[in-house]
Amino acid sequence: MAITILAPVVEDVRQDDSHAPHGYADQSMSEDSDSDVEMGGVSLSQKRRPRDSNNLATGIMTPGEVVTDDPQWMRGHGTYTNPLSTSIIATVAGHIEKVNKLISVRPLRARYTPEIGDLVVGRIVEVQSRRWKVDVAAPLLAQLPLSAINLPGGILRRRTSADELQIRTFFSEGDLVVAEVQSVHQDGSASLHTRSLKYGKLRNGVFLAVTGTGGSGASSSKPKKSGSSLARDWGVVRSRRQVWTQQTASGGADVDIILGVNGYIWISKHVEGTDAASSASENVSITRMEEMVSSSIYSSQNDEISPQTRHEISRLSQCIQVLVQNGVRVEMETVQAAYEASLQVDLEVGDDEDELSEEGRDYLEGNKASRLIELVEQRWAKQEKIE
Amino acid sequence: MNDRRRVNGPPGGTRPPVFQSGLQSSNPSDRPRRQRQPAELRKIFLKTGLIPSASGSAYLEFEPSASLAANRSNPKSMIPPSSALKLTCTVHGPKPLPRSAAYSPNLVLTTHVKYAPFAARRRKGHVRDSSERDLGVHLETALRGAIIAERWPKSGLDITITILEAEDDRWWGEPPDSHDASWGIMNVLAGCITAASAAIADARIDCLDLVAGGVAAITEDVGASHSGSGRLMLDTDPAEHASILSACVVAYMPARDEITELWLKGDSSKAVLDDGDSRQGHDALIDGAVDAARGSYSVLSEAVKESILNAVAHA
Amino acid sequence: MSNPRQASSASQTPHLSPAELSYLYTSLSLPKGPIRPDGRSPTQFRPLTAETDILPGTNGSARIGFADGTQAIVGVKAEVEKTVLASDILQQDVENDLQAPSDRRDGAESTPSAAAGGHGSWVQMSIEIPGFRDDDALPVFLSEMMRESLVGSVTDAGKGRDTEMAGGLKGRLVINKRWHWRLYIDVLLLSQPLSYPLPLLSLTTHLALLSTKLPKLKSQGEEDPFFDDDWGVAEHLYPRPSPSASATSSQIRPPVTLLVISVGDNVIFDPNREEISVADAVLAISITRNSEGQGLKLLSIRTIDPPSRLTQPGVPNSENLSTMAATGNSDNAAAANPSAGQEEVPGVWRPRRGGIKRSVITELTRTVLKKGGVGEEVLEGLEGVEV
Repeated sequence: MAITILAPVVEDVRQDDSHAPHGYADQSMSEDSDSDVEMGGVSLSQKRRPRDSNNLATGIMTPGEVVTDDPQWMRGHGTYTNPLSTSIIATVAGHIEKVNKLISVRPLRARYTPEIGDLVVGRIVEVQSRRWKVDVAAPLLAQLPLSAINLPGGILRRRTSADELQIRTFFSEGDLVVAEVQSVHQDGSASLHTRSLKYGKLRNGVFLAVTGTGGSGASSSKPKKSGSSLARDWGVVRSRRQVWTQQTASGGADVDIILGVNGYIWISKHVEGTDAASSASENVSITRMEEMVSSSIYSSQNDEISPQTRHEISRLSQCIQVLVQNGVRVEMETVQAAYEASLQVDLEVGDDEDELSEEGRDYLEGNKASRLIELVEQRWAKQEKIE
Repeated sequence: MNDRRRVNGPPGGTRPPVFQSGLQSSNPSDRPRRQRQPAELRKIFLKTGLIPSASGSAYLEFEPSASLAANRSNPKSMIPPSSALKLTCTVHGPKPLPRSAAYSPNLVLTTHVKYAPFAARRRKGHVRDSSERDLGVHLETALRGAIIAERWPKSGLDITITILEAEDDRWWGEPPDSHDASWGIMNVLAGCITAASAAIADARIDCLDLVAGGVAAITEDVGASHSGSGRLMLDTDPAEHASILSACVVAYMPARDEITELWLKGDSSKAVLDDGDSRQGHDALIDGAVDAARGSYSVLSEAVKESILNAVAHA
Repeated sequence: MSNPRQASSASQTPHLSPAELSYLYTSLSLPKGPIRPDGRSPTQFRPLTAETDILPGTNGSARIGFADGTQAIVGVKAEVEKTVLASDILQQDVENDLQAPSDRRDGAESTPSAAAGGHGSWVQMSIEIPGFRDDDALPVFLSEMMRESLVGSVTDAGKGRDTEMAGGLKGRLVINKRWHWRLYIDVLLLSQPLSYPLPLLSLTTHLALLSTKLPKLKSQGEEDPFFDDDWGVAEHLYPRPSPSASATSSQIRPPVTLLVISVGDNVIFDPNREEISVADAVLAISITRNSEGQGLKLLSIRTIDPPSRLTQPGVPNSENLSTMAATGNSDNAAAANPSAGQEEVPGVWRPRRGGIKRSVITELTRTVLKKGGVGEEVLEGLEGVEV
């Protein structure tokens, strides 16, 4: 069947942050994490319920609401104080977060705010005389100065006027780069750099944009274990591993996945040369390495990629889409779990209806999505127990 | 409140006076009839380089129909029985894009098609209406496939077409709303494509090939045995046919055998083709339009050659 | 994400890097069937949710939403209007009636007046797309395209049964010789389109027209029309088959416009934004059921300017200054003149040039029109929607 037309589904009110029409709220979540999902992390504040304020107890704030009148608290992000009073007032809708005496309101959904050291994927939108302007899903365009890239030629050298003239041969409009946030300016815009061999122009794969990390510092200041629920944050979060190589099934080659903290994701075929460089193999001298890599770092020519690998890249990108649509956080563990689950779902479906649905069997976002999420949840629950 | 500074028209609408002679000539026997063979095209006059200030220009004119010529020599009515397409095309550029424009690795094409207010039987306003904008989009699609845009990065090309005389959508003697589909616009588009291609060649912009426009239609003629017998005609003049069922215009590049623009509308399923022709109606229609485009290509290439020879002679 | 739109093109160009474009193109043009980024089969549409009769203030309305959140709402309103006729028409008709039909055989038959056949300008269509002015090329082009097939779909006089629809939609709007309905079809896209919005708008319009009702006429003949004010007895604009009618005679339905692209030798339906940006050819094909209820009828074809022509070309490694290990001097700048490289290098994106081969057009239309093809499946899917 070429077309599927569904009747509109009245979305479950409790499933507050999910766009997906595929409801899964009740059947899949384990009991203890349930409340956490529904209210976006109320249980955290409930555990440490302060005795002094009602608002602090419920944990959910709307703009203009008084968070607390108690002068002992210091105001953090998402709040303001009136000069004449001691009350702290929320400026965004979200839930309260406290670190010692610092109180902040963390929005349930926010745009990416760059922080130093973030690994981001960005798209060049403008080429200026000595720098590029890069879209990193932040409110402001980030800049990538010519002086912050590795110039080709095998040696670390100063930029010349010739480099300035041929700035488009390095990066041009539309190109995707993976880079690191070098500094954040006063206005919140970021300055990027690609002075590492693992950074540079992206090729051999597909791009995917999902929601990125929310309000600044929130996820990094979060106690590590509080992420026991999958649906704690959604989109990409800052985590230990943002880049990894995934082995794929069904005859696909290894696939590199880059989860930009800003929610831009790049999934590409793994190329051998870069691995040697990025893992900084000891026996190659620094300069040698430069030479080796410079041949591909600004290339826009794709290598040959087998159809099997393309299938698996497409599968991975769908897995991530499904995770995002169902409000599950995107990080290495969840993506890997989703990928394995998708393979399992395929097996199940294959048993069920044989060759009936040869058409569109790769498509994950329909009925398969809910099953996939279910499996991911199960896997996650198991892992939690082991830990 | 009345505006006393100008002479206002009557508050209600008015009807144009209908002259007795006009009514008489709307006798169906006077309707122009196609005197060409089904595959015979009208002659085209095409000349480039008429507008010295533009970097390229062309003027295109279709041969007036036989009935129009007859009416001129022996006028029965003040109103000409049919009209013939006349249009000019100017090309400005390549020129730098405005500073505010985003970087483009390709030549940025903009097309404007405008009817002169007096071009059609009903006066057109000075503001482009939706059919004119629509024509502009069609024309742009047709040309963009032919131009090698990456030869001219960061620059723009403006193509402006002024239609001096448009094709009729139907015979004027018929009731004004009898069948309203605007078939004339398809002939206009074909003319625009051919003229624009000549003007672009005249402006020395790199092209893959000259691109020519052609029209074919499936018509049902007055006096046909009964309805349901559509005949395929090339280069139809809508005034010459009682009823057009379906029409198609293509922009065609003969050297590459490719179509850059295709616009087909109407019901082509009732086409009656020759025996043994197993094509479906729309396929036959597209093939017919391609044949018509081949015809206009011969004129187009001659006109471009001529302009080069002229340039050489003057040099 | 900032999305600068082309000033003139009928189609928006997303900025994709040459490497992405090349990857996509190769994936989609694989000879064994395309690998689409979202895993769909070439003829599979994105699942959508549909509902009708959602706006009480209209004669008919519908809403369709994609899973990605793009939604279209269509409202249809009808007004009674006086038919403007040239003064002689009525007279002439009377004369025609008086004279023996044999006298003016062709005159009487072949000059149906507006009063009988209806007029295309009675159907007004406006499309509102956020981020576009209403006189921009895209909305104008889309509305002309959809209106053209709507008013053009004249069915044959339906063998006595559904004479109401004898003149197609136009004929249905005629009340009597002096009065007619004017139909306003207002299409509203709720968010900036994430893909070329044609299929979405066309399907929504289809459903809205199906649900459109006109009040029941109480006056007869050439009287000034007055209507039954009971909405319950209102008649559908597209009349329902009477229960007594045989099962084979299906209901007359408005046309549907499908978006089809060709990439390499593959034909792909309902392309998303990335897919359309690498297409060799883009066609909008309007179809409807044949009046006999069997098979499909082609109403219009339009080419749409493929955005791939405006893309940035990739630079093959052999011509890339920064990958040639050049030391930064511009000695071999001449070699990098982009226009010099005309031949296709595998893995390097070249903007599409030229037009469509004749055979491709035949293939595209055949895929839509053939028995059991995509056209029929889409219409069947739409028939499944409860109106």
